Amino acid sequence: MENIGRRKFFGICLGGVATGALAAIIYPLFRYLAPRQTESSAGKVVIPLKDVPDGEAKFFEFAGSSAVLVKKRGGDLVAFSAVCTHLGCIVQWEKDKQDFLCPCHAGHYTADGAVISGPPPKPLTKLPFTVANGAITIG
Amino acid sequence: MALLKRLIDWIDVRIGARELAQKQLGDYLLPRNINVWYSMGSILLFIFVLQVVTGILLLIYYVPDADKAFKSVTYIMNDVPFGWLIRMCHAVGSNMMVLVLLLHMFSVLFMGSYKGPRELNWVTGFILLTLVQGISLTGYLLPWSQLSFWATTVATNSANAIPVIGPHLVEFLRGGKLVGPPTLGRFFALHVAVIPLTIAALVGLHLFLLERIGVSTPPFGLKETKNPWQGKGFEYEGHPGGIPFFPNYALQDLTSISIYLACFLGVVFFDPYLFFPKDAFLPANPFVTPAHIKPEWYFLANYQTLKIFPNELIGLTVQGAAMTFLALLPFIDRGPEKHPLKRPVFMACTIGGILLWIGLTVWGHYS
Amino acid sequence: MRYAKHVTNSLLLVFSLMLPIAVFAAEQPEIVCIQCHSTMPGKIGEPVKLWRGSIHAENGIACNACHGGDPADAANAMSPARGFLGAPKEKAIPDFCGRCHVGVRADYLASAHGQALGMGGPTCVTCHGNHQVLKASLELINEKSCSRCHSFERARVIKSAMQETEAMIVAIDARIKAYKAKGTDTDKMEKGLFAVRNRFHTLFHNVDVELVKKESMQIQAELKKIEAVLQGLDDSQHTRKIAGAVAVAGALLAALFLHLFRKTYE
Repeated sequence: MENIGRRKFFGICLGGVATGALAAIIYPLFRYLAPRQTESSAGKVVIPLKDVPDGEAKFFEFAGSSAVLVKKRGGDLVAFSAVCTHLGCIVQWEKDKQDFLCPCHAGHYTADGAVISGPPPKPLTKLPFTVANGAITIG
Repeated sequence: MALLKRLIDWIDVRIGARELAQKQLGDYLLPRNINVWYSMGSILLFIFVLQVVTGILLLIYYVPDADKAFKSVTYIMNDVPFGWLIRMCHAVGSNMMVLVLLLHMFSVLFMGSYKGPRELNWVTGFILLTLVQGISLTGYLLPWSQLSFWATTVATNSANAIPVIGPHLVEFLRGGKLVGPPTLGRFFALHVAVIPLTIAALVGLHLFLLERIGVSTPPFGLKETKNPWQGKGFEYEGHPGGIPFFPNYALQDLTSISIYLACFLGVVFFDPYLFFPKDAFLPANPFVTPAHIKPEWYFLANYQTLKIFPNELIGLTVQGAAMTFLALLPFIDRGPEKHPLKRPVFMACTIGGILLWIGLTVWGHYS
Repeated sequence: MRYAKHVTNSLLLVFSLMLPIAVFAAEQPEIVCIQCHSTMPGKIGEPVKLWRGSIHAENGIACNACHGGDPADAANAMSPARGFLGAPKEKAIPDFCGRCHVGVRADYLASAHGQALGMGGPTCVTCHGNHQVLKASLELINEKSCSRCHSFERARVIKSAMQETEAMIVAIDARIKAYKAKGTDTDKMEKGLFAVRNRFHTLFHNVDVELVKKESMQIQAELKKIEAVLQGLDDSQHTRKIAGAVAVAGALLAALFLHLFRKTYE
């Protein structure tokens, strides 16, 4: 009868909406739960060792913001984000004092990125790097 | 499909599934004059399930450590695919739950469904109300934002006014003298395990009572609207000639849930930050109190009440008395009349009370 | 009898929700400098009022940060032994502010303004004030302020050279704030903008129009990078809104079909 016909019709409509709803739930759910991709090799920066003489710092761009490589006098190589942890200014390397100074509010960091004085709340973020064949690969 | 039928047959001959389904769903009759307000309970159940599901999903990425909590929530909001959606569903859903719960309560008040033999249903419902408030309060702390931290400080501070045990109670609630990592620990346990399980158990009890006693008859469109229950012996309130729950009222429930979903998704996608002041996105700083910390909208009336009374203890006592009165309403209002227009005093008081609550809430918002 | 109870019902239904919230939380006591000076009249008390409206106060930089002394010990608060410096004389002002604002001090001392220090030239305080120091903006370069010493023409040239970039910075700042209020992780952008903004504003202290023009190009390039990130966020917000409209429409459609489906059973 007429009702059965209509019932079937709306039943199909509902089936359609339900399928759509199910897809709209399963897709985000899957994406949410799926394991994240780890950082790929895109974005790594390579710098020749000779570009960083003893006691000097080299500034470069890494992952969209400023970074710095330091060859400590008579010591090892270290790499940091050059973004001051206070409010974001870019720190400067003071060759004579072998430390970092932020020109905005006089935050001081050691050559190892630790805070000496001033407003920075945290040390400079360390960046991972490897050295091979006379070149430094950061990232 | 033939396969499906064979599967159901296999189960049926073992546990009588078809007979059970017929009794619980098909033969379960609802009064002919039932209205859409009776769907509020199903909507609440749906909201609860959604909160549990989104809550579990959040648990996968959230870290309940004071140093990491805020960052983990920022990670969910920014880096996890659709993390923002899960989090906003959970946050908006919690506000919706309180709103729909209030509507559910008001409709029960207006239709007199709390009267005998359904007093226990009202009491379990009241306990659920306080549990929902508790789960909202504990959940609020978890993102460890400025808002979380200071709203919790203010909320737990209120217990101070209770004589003798007050300060000890505050310390016990916080797990220390001030809100800190121990507070996060216990609030997390409460929010994620203790209160949800208690809510589930009480909802089970609430539904059992509903099923055992029978759905109440709305007082609308009837000549005789007095409560027929005599209290002499147990009698299931059936509705012969009524609407079958399945498929008729179940479809009405689903329709109501869909309309709720439309409203809910509208808020989630178009104005989810309705309930988020900017302090909600600053990490907690125990040394800096923000200028205007206010509780969530459903606590604003309490907040304003405490501001009105000069003595905090009086303010607390008044509220405690009010809640106790509300909890015991079916034992206080024993009148047999259920139709709202035939209970003028009750209606005047109730509507007056609701307006006053709204007034206090609005005042609390602007004060 | 029952009616009396119904009447109280109204008053009490007002307070229907249980969990009471107290009105305020614990506050830290103010430092001793403010405790004393805020109660004093005239010149001695005014700095406190002025400071309260400053960007220093907003960021928790109080009296002792500049003037030294002990902020917790009222008896020794102004003791030189505790590092109290008092108010600096005119020629010592750049060093005073420059203890923190290192970069600006260097730029200023090298500029025409800095060369005129102690000989009628401006100090930091001349333009920025001393206690009600506000977040630096281009408004500091204005006719009233600059014409105290010379014609506004020179200042006008620099200001217009900086106007376009400043407008970009202000606009980006507003957009970042809007996103921050939605829980977006704006940390990197905020830091990036702060660095660029400082680099840009400090340019003024050189009072060198050509330098300003040259650096402006670079700075605008940096700003464009931030704008690109913001554009990405705008785009994803737009996509979400469309998805939202579809979701709401879907729910309403479901409600409609369910309703009509139910009617076939009546």
